[in-house]
Amino acid sequence: MRSIVVVAVGGVTSRLTQHIIPRYCTTTTQYSRHIHTSRASVWASRSYFRRPTSIYGTVGVCGSNVKVVGSSLESSKGGSFVSMAPITTDNINPGEVVDKSIAQNKVMIFSKSSCPFCLKIKGLLKSLNVEYVALELDQIKNGAEIQNALLEKSGQRTVPNVYINGEHVGGADKTFSLHTQGELLPLINKSTHNYDYDMVVIGGGSGGLAASKETANLGMKVAVCDFVTPTPKGTTWGLGGTCVNVGCIPKKLMHQSAILGGELKDSREYGWDTPETVTHDWGRMVEAIQNHIGSLNWGYRVALREKKVDYLNAYATFTDPHTIKTVDRRGKEKIITSDKFLVATGGRPRYPDIPGAKEHTITSDDIFSLPYAPGKTLLVGASYISLECAGFLAGLGYDTTVMVRSILLRGFDQQIAEKIGAYMEQHGVKFIRGAVPTSIEKIEEGTPGKLRVTAKTTDGEEVVDEYNTVVVAIGRDPCTSGIGLENAGVDLAKNGKVVVEKGEQSSVPHIYAIGDVMEGGLELTPVAIQAGRLLARRLYRKDSLQTDYVNVPTTVFTPLEYGCCGLSEEAAIDKYGEDDIEVYHSSYQPLEFTVAHRPENDCYAKLVCVKSENEKVVGFHILGPNAGEITQGFSIGLKLGATKADFDNLIGIHPTTAEIFTTLNITKRSGKDVSAQGC
Amino acid sequence: MVETVTVEGFDAFVEKLESNKSSGKPIFVLFSGSKDANGKSWCPDCVVAEPVVKGALTKAPQDAVFLYVGVGGRDFWKDSKCVFRTDPRTKLKTVPTLMKVGGPQRLEEEQCAKADMVEMLFEDA
Repeated sequence: MRSIVVVAVGGVTSRLTQHIIPRYCTTTTQYSRHIHTSRASVWASRSYFRRPTSIYGTVGVCGSNVKVVGSSLESSKGGSFVSMAPITTDNINPGEVVDKSIAQNKVMIFSKSSCPFCLKIKGLLKSLNVEYVALELDQIKNGAEIQNALLEKSGQRTVPNVYINGEHVGGADKTFSLHTQGELLPLINKSTHNYDYDMVVIGGGSGGLAASKETANLGMKVAVCDFVTPTPKGTTWGLGGTCVNVGCIPKKLMHQSAILGGELKDSREYGWDTPETVTHDWGRMVEAIQNHIGSLNWGYRVALREKKVDYLNAYATFTDPHTIKTVDRRGKEKIITSDKFLVATGGRPRYPDIPGAKEHTITSDDIFSLPYAPGKTLLVGASYISLECAGFLAGLGYDTTVMVRSILLRGFDQQIAEKIGAYMEQHGVKFIRGAVPTSIEKIEEGTPGKLRVTAKTTDGEEVVDEYNTVVVAIGRDPCTSGIGLENAGVDLAKNGKVVVEKGEQSSVPHIYAIGDVMEGGLELTPVAIQAGRLLARRLYRKDSLQTDYVNVPTTVFTPLEYGCCGLSEEAAIDKYGEDDIEVYHSSYQPLEFTVAHRPENDCYAKLVCVKSENEKVVGFHILGPNAGEITQGFSIGLKLGATKADFDNLIGIHPTTAEIFTTLNITKRSGKDVSAQGC
Repeated sequence: MVETVTVEGFDAFVEKLESNKSSGKPIFVLFSGSKDANGKSWCPDCVVAEPVVKGALTKAPQDAVFLYVGVGGRDFWKDSKCVFRTDPRTKLKTVPTLMKVGGPQRLEEEQCAKADMVEMLFEDA
């Protein structure tokens, strides 16, 4: 007795089972199919299950002889077997069996169940999540005849004999060598549409680059359009998006430059004869940082070439749902069509609508490549971008002021936000609270020149001061206008971001959005990268893994770094109610601060726990040096659902600052003093 | 027409580099394993890369200077203290290396044998 076996996963099992298992049965052919997604299963149920009548003729009624073949066919995702009734190949011309098998199956393997090379090929295809159909020639009556027909057709007698998209590939060696050369998936994924590309990514930032490279890895034809519209000051940059050019990378390096200044002061306490006055060269720092960024820009271009992703340094606009028009720097236009699109255009700084803003101020888009030292600087806004810039500018020795309308770091834990503000204030940053600028005038040309800033406080008082540089950092707007999304029919939210369903899919099913333009997402580089990669794998490798937007760790690189994961104290109270939240906290002093005579109580650690859930930790917060490094590690604990007891059971590494989390025993509710203790 | 200059060894390279720098012309350098008496480099990747790089020179700016530099024999190059590896102007990790002087553009090993990559480097000037 021989049988057909279908392997499927997930929810389709019962439906298929109902229809198939009890109905057919017979003798000869053993087919096996490896299927992954529900979409694939639908396909299988349509074209494959019809086949018994159309190709192989009538099949008999089957009782207990439905056979499920070997474990090599089991789904790697814990899916279950669905057995399908056997089909006869008797009385059918072997040549016809071969031709139809090849014609009707994207990936067709003529195999023998005992052949180790056949097993290897199936293992490879399964590891790549590729659907295939295998005909086991040793398990059917007319296997020998079919093998002869194969020899005649392909010139190959041995098994495995692999056909992809109707074309003869060869045996195991040939298939494996195609795979090592990266040509197997392209052959399998060969497009079935007539567009220029399988995927066009608009925006060459972290998300767009990750998505395009992953998509190309999976054998698809991909293009990335990236074009930087110059700032009002004329600043522009290369491939890689905000993070690399005007965000995370230069920010962290300037933060490091400021940290070094602080450590130079410490060094005297540690025995170094560092001069009392050391000077900092802004231009040299900018040049070194920009050189590094330049090498990253080049590296991305090389990587795109290596992955065979077409890079278009051109501005893309949708003209219809499957077409974009691109315009390059020279004004050259091109029309490009694609099966799918990914909008990953990111965001740009917002300017306040006041006289002189666009003419005289700069933003984070300009500051990291500013060719002259900024001098006395005003930062407008209390976003993390504003506070980070204020932090490094003050650390580098510039007279720095931050103008804040209401609260610091909206959306972050407010207790910590205030601690950051207090620390910055003690370390040379001036704050003007409750004020917004109303006009900015240039009163002196130069690099830097001089600007007069008039502001109004909430009490209606006018505040006027002069600065060399004004940096506005009041928020960012998504780059979704002027790219023709209306021509494609993509729905936008009120804030201008692209509305998406689960799976980053926009209102137009073949158009996706990731990163800073995606409504409901998080404006963080690694989130966009993850979203881009996983999206590509879901679209072209039939993976099911979705990006998890919960418990994403992040860090604000203010002079004292602030790392957090999960909920702020306020958000936790909102969600669970004050009575159900227990907050464990402590101030601490890093060992390195002692010899350097730095403050004792500025660093702070806090765990926000849910009492009714076994004190599960839902918020992790640390304010202190290297907070990013600490938070990255601990965040896996939050993702795994760690409780306060788990933190207590963890043994510390001494002497570190992270070990504070293993000994937190004072609750906020107790009102006890949390001043730093000696060890 | 791109001016091609062939030099052998570090000192000759530095001399040509400095004398061309002042001209303001874009300078491209291909570092390769030096050739033997029969005109064949000991470095197989360099042998493959040379015609590709030279063939793509038409894509470089017309006023560019192209330096073809022999880094020495195999033993000299393989020494981790080899001056081509340590000098901040070259900081080579491998031969062949194709680079643009004063820019981040750099291609290494088999990348130098890919015409589209080499053209991208020349066009990026």
